Amino acid sequence: MLGMLVTGCYSGGGPKHSVDGGGGPAMLTGAPAVSYTIPRVGGGTDSVAAHRGSIVLLNFWATWCPPCKEEMPALESLYRSERSRGLVVLGIDQGESSATAGKFATEHGVTFPILVDADQQYASSYVSIGLPTTVIIGRDGHVVRGIDGAQTLPQFRALVGPLLAAK
Amino acid sequence: MSARSTAFAFAVLAIALTLTQDVFPARDWYHSWQYTTIVAIAIGVMFVHAFRSWRGKAGANGKRVALALAGAIAIAIAGLLSGLIGPDTVTVVGTPGTVTPVAELGAAAFFAAADPQTIPRGDATVTLRRRGAGPLEIGPRPVPIGLSVAFTQSRPAAYVVVRNDRGDRLTITQPNSPSFLSPVILFRQSQEIHDRTFPLDTVAVPGAQRVIRILYFSQADLAAFRRDPDAPAPTGPGAVLSATDDAGGQRGITMAQSGTEVTIGGLHVTVTLGTYPVLQVAAAPQPYVLAGGLVLFLGALAWWLTGSRSGAAAAESVPA
Repeated sequence: MLGMLVTGCYSGGGPKHSVDGGGGPAMLTGAPAVSYTIPRVGGGTDSVAAHRGSIVLLNFWATWCPPCKEEMPALESLYRSERSRGLVVLGIDQGESSATAGKFATEHGVTFPILVDADQQYASSYVSIGLPTTVIIGRDGHVVRGIDGAQTLPQFRALVGPLLAAK
Repeated sequence: MSARSTAFAFAVLAIALTLTQDVFPARDWYHSWQYTTIVAIAIGVMFVHAFRSWRGKAGANGKRVALALAGAIAIAIAGLLSGLIGPDTVTVVGTPGTVTPVAELGAAAFFAAADPQTIPRGDATVTLRRRGAGPLEIGPRPVPIGLSVAFTQSRPAAYVVVRNDRGDRLTITQPNSPSFLSPVILFRQSQEIHDRTFPLDTVAVPGAQRVIRILYFSQADLAAFRRDPDAPAPTGPGAVLSATDDAGGQRGITMAQSGTEVTIGGLHVTVTLGTYPVLQVAAAPQPYVLAGGLVLFLGALAWWLTGSRSGAAAAESVPA
């Protein structure tokens, strides 16, 4: 019996394997939204937690990122048309200074709140695998969708429309 | 050496080998055929002697010996099964501030956010969250969870800050890492220099079209490299930084002390070195089986010893 145990069950040793965190923002669907309080361009601070009860669209971006620039007009249009319905749009600049982000916002006519995440905490916690990244947070404070890559205005509307319609 | 002494010697050996799995988990040799063979032989020897003692002429004393050996056999079988069919050791590397599922534990591991102060202190935590259970902070001491133990191990890490000439911060990315937008590098690569392996990682600064390779040296490594006895002794870890542009052209190389800004490739770079934990999950014998087996082994052993003495005393007091 002992011989069978040793020769039959022996698996040849336990090779160690490693699991690396990651997987992209899509894996966060249903997870509680992470929040950090960070500076806001123009003064003061803001956070995801401050908007609990609203539909929050987080957009991680940076001034050096061409797809982020291309996406900005669509995001601005969405904000202007849907903020009256309770949509909160937070543009979160990753790793740059307030002056850099503020200058970009002025030049590109961005009116939605821009937050400055110099320590890149938001993009790290929401497992961004590139910029831009969009994360939609529901009224209950949980992640509804995480999307890697630039979106068009119709795509943004398709994402937030049903959430805004639901009471 | 009598058969009984041999059986108890194997019992002590098997108990020690099994307890070692809980105290020093995740060692490769628990899964080796040599370890398995030793424990299997110990079980065989103990089983044969326990059987003979139970059925033999020693009466109650023989049964006590058999019970003690049964406790040791339970422990040894738990150790044997853990080595044979227990899950492989898993190392979970998490980006600071993220949650990573750990299927082996049916849990999610929350790796605490890190900043330039946490990394040199090396006190960032990993917290396990399981359905229906409260959060459990995991440290370097193994914590039993089901058929496994979980513990943390400190690995080299660095918090990187890059500024331009105006003093404005620039975005850092890690193009080849799951921690794409984290300013904390976990040295997932390595480089061999003179038969020694040193932690290595790479960050990109897309806003300045630069790539910076960071090679980590511990304080002991730097002390070993010191050739000039008059040169000041290193006071902490350091790093060699080399910068290239996006086309791969060399843009400089420099040595950086932890937390001190250096200029390389037209950028001002501060690398704060220290450690950040990884989570290790290893197979380990069930602590309840070990505790029960030990109680049985030690209790029956004490019972046998006191029984033997009182028997001997009674024999001495019987008049001839």
